[in-house]
Amino acid sequence: MTDHEQNDRLGRGARRAFRLPRRGARVEAQVDEELEFHMRGRVEELIAAGRSREEAEAEVRRRFGDVDRWRREAATIDRGQARQERMADVVDTLRRETRQAARALTRAPGFTLVAALTLALGLGAATAIFAVLDSVVLRPLPYPDADRLVWMDHRVPGVGENDRWNLGMINYFDFRDNVPSLASLAVYYETGLNVAIPGGDPARVRGAMVSASTFPTLGAGNAAVGRLLNDADNAPGAEPVAVLGYAFWRSAYGADPGVVERKMEVEGRSVRVVGVAPPGAVLPQSATDVWMPLTMDPVQAARVNQHTYSAIGRLTDGATIERLQGQLEARERQFPELYPAAYSANFMTSTGFQPSVEPLHEHVVGAAVTRTLWIMFGAVGLVLLVACAHVANLFLVRMEARRRETALRAALGASRGRLALRSLTESLLLAAGAAVVGLVVAYAAIRALVALAPPSLPRLEAIHLGWPHVAFVLLLALAVGVVMGVVPALRRGVDLGALRDGARGMTSSRQRNAVRGALVVGQVALSLVLLAAGGLMLRSAARLHAVSPGFDPEHVLVLDVAMPQGTYGWNEYAKAAAVHRTFQRELARVSGVVGVGAVNDVPMSGAWGCSGMGFEDASVEGACTPMRAVSPGYFEVMRIPIVRGQAPTWDEVAGGTNGVVISQALAEHFWPGQDPIGRAVKANTDRPPFFRVVGVTGDVRVDGLEKPPTEVVYFPMVADSGLYMWGAARNVSVTVRTSTEDAASILAAARRIMRDLDPSIVVDNARWMDGIVAASLSRTTLAMLLLGVAAGMALLLSAVGIYGVIAYLVGQRRAEIGIRMALGAPAARVGREVVLGALRLALVGVVLGLVAAVATMRLLQSLLFDVSPMDPLTLGGVAILLLLLAALASWIPARRASRVPPMEALRG
Amino acid sequence: MDLIRGTLDMLVLKALSWGPMHGLGVLRWIEGTTRERLQVEEGALYPALHRMERKGWLAAEWGISENNRKAKYYRLTPAGRRQLFEEQSRWASYSHAVHLVLTAESAP
Repeated sequence: MTDHEQNDRLGRGARRAFRLPRRGARVEAQVDEELEFHMRGRVEELIAAGRSREEAEAEVRRRFGDVDRWRREAATIDRGQARQERMADVVDTLRRETRQAARALTRAPGFTLVAALTLALGLGAATAIFAVLDSVVLRPLPYPDADRLVWMDHRVPGVGENDRWNLGMINYFDFRDNVPSLASLAVYYETGLNVAIPGGDPARVRGAMVSASTFPTLGAGNAAVGRLLNDADNAPGAEPVAVLGYAFWRSAYGADPGVVERKMEVEGRSVRVVGVAPPGAVLPQSATDVWMPLTMDPVQAARVNQHTYSAIGRLTDGATIERLQGQLEARERQFPELYPAAYSANFMTSTGFQPSVEPLHEHVVGAAVTRTLWIMFGAVGLVLLVACAHVANLFLVRMEARRRETALRAALGASRGRLALRSLTESLLLAAGAAVVGLVVAYAAIRALVALAPPSLPRLEAIHLGWPHVAFVLLLALAVGVVMGVVPALRRGVDLGALRDGARGMTSSRQRNAVRGALVVGQVALSLVLLAAGGLMLRSAARLHAVSPGFDPEHVLVLDVAMPQGTYGWNEYAKAAAVHRTFQRELARVSGVVGVGAVNDVPMSGAWGCSGMGFEDASVEGACTPMRAVSPGYFEVMRIPIVRGQAPTWDEVAGGTNGVVISQALAEHFWPGQDPIGRAVKANTDRPPFFRVVGVTGDVRVDGLEKPPTEVVYFPMVADSGLYMWGAARNVSVTVRTSTEDAASILAAARRIMRDLDPSIVVDNARWMDGIVAASLSRTTLAMLLLGVAAGMALLLSAVGIYGVIAYLVGQRRAEIGIRMALGAPAARVGREVVLGALRLALVGVVLGLVAAVATMRLLQSLLFDVSPMDPLTLGGVAILLLLLAALASWIPARRASRVPPMEALRG
Repeated sequence: MDLIRGTLDMLVLKALSWGPMHGLGVLRWIEGTTRERLQVEEGALYPALHRMERKGWLAAEWGISENNRKAKYYRLTPAGRRQLFEEQSRWASYSHAVHLVLTAESAP
């Protein structure tokens, strides 16, 4: 038998075993050899028949035909076959390896379960946060060419470093016609609207007052039914029209196309519906039920200096934000000449009025949220690393246990690559299983996150688990699987000594133990970083919760009361006052109600605006002061103390009082050390009548607990004072101190009372004040919760990791310990040594972790309140916690070690 | 006379039904049996052999030829034997049909 025959008979397996070249490598050579044999045979035949060699060769070539062609065809066929065989080999090997790996994993269910669950938690957490990061921060906004949309407003450094003013109406007309980088410009504001829906009570819906250009700027496309708005609708004196939002049209009108041309009642006025907006027409961050045209008068616009319009611009092809910024600045420098009635040179210099442009995406998502999410992503990345270290450690321990098996296989001829393949298949299989479970974990985590997330988190509705995130978890699992499978295999020389009888584990490889120790050190170090982050957030939150908001939010129910503008006009204060007074008096009589007040915006419900005000005899110039309108009773309900003077009563309000109440912070700012009672407050005017200070209240943190107390002027709500507090009397939040938890019954009672007074007034949106305060803390709370969970997971994994390694080392040293105890070593000393060993490892990890924490905790700065990122108490605390944990985790193995019966240990 | 397309496979299978042969042996047997009446472009034999090997009709082994050279020997596999049987019976019924037509004596 020739070796070729042998080759074939033995088949693929043997070829592999003997490292014989595969067919594919020699395909051409073999075909050549075969054809050559043919031709030589033929030539010899002809020569034997009496031809000359030249003649014979020529004749054979003629008969054979195109040699190259036949050679090529034959080789192609063979190569195909070789490829097929190679594929079959690979599939075969993979199937066998996978089957064996699966069998090996099921033989050790404890190991498999712990390792897979650990990885699944790590992968799931990382995927969940990645999905949130991707949905909120990385993805473009849902508009066509969203990268060309910009948010436009103004900086006013002369008023406040971080203050922003929106666009004025004159900005719209001026920029629209004179700024070449703007393809279009949308101005709008959002407002609640009272709408009478056919067959229902009047309802408060989400309205948007917009320029007609808003739809094309957003790239909304065509109307779903009828038409969208056009410039004529914005003209002064145009017929009032409305476009319905798509979702609102479906829910309120059952998607009836006949709604177009019908009349509907908005804010007490009749409005003609001209169309339904397409589903894609959405303002950033909010849904719109009813779109209505702003009244836009270029003549009037040139005379007023009011910056109340949100603005979105669309860049032209090739335009950049920098260029647009330059063009806007150039235009506004000319404003004092162009619009002297509204923009004096003095105004421009004193405020530092300056246009500002940023990508719409950045404006919507915000730097703070982006930063927070990246920090979270970093934290779950660390958790995943800890989980990997833990599982790698488990793998090492397992590999140790299989030393004999491995050595046996190596002795029988399994190559290093083959052995590596086995460990790789096992870790990949494990990682794949973990990825599947991880996806479930991620899904649940995202659901929980969305439920817990602050409602102010941008793009909350966009958060989802999609295919890219599934791909992410699979890739991550693949990477984790490869690293864990290959790394232990790489550094493992096969220890044939393991085959010798009795060589079992009297000593253990120093190198191997060093790797295991390093993994534990790494786990401890990473855990310390996470614990430090969680600890800092916890302390921050505790500090924040300890801050008094300046009012008592417990048992205060907030109800929104909205009067239609058509019936309660700008200057009809008396009419509104009468309704408010009666309503609040009646509501106070309802059982369960302790007291009633009202304010135009409750604290912590978003930024309070400000207005320029002058203060008589003040030592400093006023810039822009927050103002609120409050009804009598508000301070009592909110338990905001009146520290001096008195708040106006209802009778005084009805009599048109000019008394205002100011906050203590404001009093100290403008009249330090003096009695502010009786001083004049000039609200945007230099002519009398002025307001007079009649009372001083305790300070309130209206913008959130982390902000300093606000200087605020409380004007009397619905006083007929000529004060330009638009809407302040129409749309208010009524605050109700209750002795009951039943919000629904109070809302129902309030509605009943209002129906008797005026059925067109909407009472809704009942919520508890303590909930509003909690929501304002939710960003901190969420960050704390997430970092806390991450730290907890890391802590648990390091504890288990330390325990595992120490227990393993003790197990290995059983014989040695037995000898020492037989020679008279006290049990306590043996135990102490074990614990000290663990503490040594942990200490190295703690020191490394402290270094890393000091380097990274600065990143948390923006999330922290009143706690230094290097707070020694937190860092010291978590260091001690980890050391205690290490001691505790090694305690059990230590006890076991000190109870080793010497003889048994020696017998092994 | 040129070979009718598609019949080369059948001739090769038949040649190999006598036992393992190398390519040249197959050709010599066909030549001898047909008394050199069939002209085959000799090179075309090899793609045919390799294709049938890939289909599993033939198995190939390297061996030593009668004059002590290395040669590739082909042998019929059981699948090849079945294939030969099928092609033979198809050819027989085909040529019988053609024969019936060409020897017909009755006018239409």
